[in-house]
Amino acid sequence: MSEAELATPFRDRAGRALQDGFLQQALTIATTKFLELRREAFGEFPEGDALRDRARAIKEATLQRLDHYLEQLVDNVERLGGHVHFATTPDDARRIILDIAKRTGTRMAVKSKSMATEEIHLNEALEAAGVTPVETDLGEYIIQLAHERPSHIIAPAIHKTKGQVADLFARELNRPNVPADPEVLTAIARAELREKFLQADMGITGANFAVADAGTVVLVTNEGNGRMVTTLPRVHVAVMGVEKVVPSMTDLAVFLAILAKSATGQKLSVYTTLVRGPRKPEELEGPDEFHLVLLDNGRIAQLGGTLREALYCLRCGACLNVCPVYRSIGGHAYGYTYPGPIGILLTAMLNGAASVKDLAHASSLCGACADACPVRIDIPRMLIELRKEVDEKKIAPWSERVVFTLVAWLLRHPALFRLAAPLARVFQRPFARGGRIERLPLFFGEWTRTRDLPAVAARTFSERWAALEREGR
Amino acid sequence: MSTRAEFLRRIRAELARTPALFPATPSLRPAHPREVADTIRRELSERWPATLQRFQQEFERVGGVLHRVATVQEVPSVVGRLARERDARDVLTWHPSALGFDPARGLADEKLTCRTMPEAVPDAAARRALRDTIATTPLGLTGVDVALAETGTMILRSGPGRPRSTSLLPATHVAVFDRTALVESLAQVAVLLEAWHADEASGAVINFITGPSRTADIELTLTRGVHGPKDVHAIFVERPLRE
Repeated sequence: MSEAELATPFRDRAGRALQDGFLQQALTIATTKFLELRREAFGEFPEGDALRDRARAIKEATLQRLDHYLEQLVDNVERLGGHVHFATTPDDARRIILDIAKRTGTRMAVKSKSMATEEIHLNEALEAAGVTPVETDLGEYIIQLAHERPSHIIAPAIHKTKGQVADLFARELNRPNVPADPEVLTAIARAELREKFLQADMGITGANFAVADAGTVVLVTNEGNGRMVTTLPRVHVAVMGVEKVVPSMTDLAVFLAILAKSATGQKLSVYTTLVRGPRKPEELEGPDEFHLVLLDNGRIAQLGGTLREALYCLRCGACLNVCPVYRSIGGHAYGYTYPGPIGILLTAMLNGAASVKDLAHASSLCGACADACPVRIDIPRMLIELRKEVDEKKIAPWSERVVFTLVAWLLRHPALFRLAAPLARVFQRPFARGGRIERLPLFFGEWTRTRDLPAVAARTFSERWAALEREGR
Repeated sequence: MSTRAEFLRRIRAELARTPALFPATPSLRPAHPREVADTIRRELSERWPATLQRFQQEFERVGGVLHRVATVQEVPSVVGRLARERDARDVLTWHPSALGFDPARGLADEKLTCRTMPEAVPDAAARRALRDTIATTPLGLTGVDVALAETGTMILRSGPGRPRSTSLLPATHVAVFDRTALVESLAQVAVLLEAWHADEASGAVINFITGPSRTADIELTLTRGVHGPKDVHAIFVERPLRE
């Protein structure tokens, strides 16, 4: 989805997704499969629950002394021969990376999957500066060829059929008669990208973790592209949010034990790569330069903010797969880099509360996300906080605020509330059919546009209660 | 650097104005990881058959194939068979000092050309040439530092004579290990990682490899060998390699 499409309101984007038959099918199949795999993985891992508590505690403990652990990380990365950069804004991050590209004469950069670089829209900036960015995760490669954005944190192209991918490869890679066979399509991508890995000057990655006292950046991939981009090009740049730091290798092992199980149901992803700086003089290969870009972009302000707990997120995607809203509308309808329940919180963190005035309500608050989260982030609590903020800062539309203020006032006055019931019974008469109100006039109609409102009952609970008491039962 | 100071100042300011969400501490780390690692290895040496069995089970689950041989002399014949099945004539190997044995002669007997990685680093031009060799050789033979049974994972450290792409660029990766490499759990691996990183001489990369390279990015169809090896084989040698 392009930024321009954000101009269309959320409900139109969601509506379009709901009309898209293929997307609906793809979403159901993918999220259901991820869910099953995750359940199986934890099912045969009895220590999983205790480890999730441990992981949560490590995240909280790290945030409590984030300054200390970041300083330690920086010192150790530098001791191992790496360079560390500090980026407060996406613009800072892009400028830092472009400077490195310019100084090293970089013409092509191969990238492994990284939400942080999506977040700062790095590819556009590289292209504008004459550096060709090549996404190498198969899913990311597909959507880069299609000029789209990822629709799932760990499966960016789940919205595409194999037929669509075959057409795309035929058109963009000049390969006529490509069969719609994932095996063949994968082999084509392997051949195309192998060339790029060998030619590229720079490898760009994110970081799943960074171990403070070892100065080590940790990458988790299944395809091996994370290894390629950190092994073959002369320069390696890793971009990571400041919250990704963990204190020690002992802590790292706790996260590794639960990350892949939550994401794909694997015990471990195929490749976990621990990078300790550039090539050592006694080693044959590896980059000559290693750069770590530490990204703030709204995170630091939330250390003391309402969204602090969202900084625990491991980007596993489990909350997307269980979310009834994500499962219905998919990632693109959210409109920003991070979709799903955690995505709403991260969007608010990165772009401010105003950006989620609609999204804050795109949740049934059923709690499935908090239940699935490997570090037990209380997402519903923060969504409610966001709704409050959207209301208090007068970001919500005036009609919504007026109605909610009136209802809140009514609920605080029992006498008026009791009076309201018989009144409502009179006013609802033209609209109620069989105990449901399907359409309301004026701006109240917004409420009934996508759902029915139950009509006020012929006798309310308090009226019945009063009657029972009168009968002396 | 001023941005560093500014960054940390803002973090401290935020932390100062906020209470912790709940009392929490990071993991307790071993004070002397090397000693703990030695103890773990000693204890494990007594129950390696069970650990190997678990490794095999998990390794096969992720698509790996385990071969068992009695002595290191039998390794080349396994490699030879795998090479013939794939029409491969060249084999890339770690340097004998890193591998724990020299397979060159045995591989020659199997009519294979053995491309041994140098222990000392050559000049830049030779390094480029070597990279082309690695990129075009169909089969890579490596050692294993740790074979993790819980997940069927092989852990390889980079270093002199053990270039990291030996286990990455060839379409088939064959790894050789003995009982001393076996550990049971990720928690035990954590102790080894603590011990390794205290060692300044360690290489720049540690790789955990759990089966062949895979993707499910097109309609969730599981496909092997997207960037890394399509086939991953392990050869377990019963008699320890370094006696």
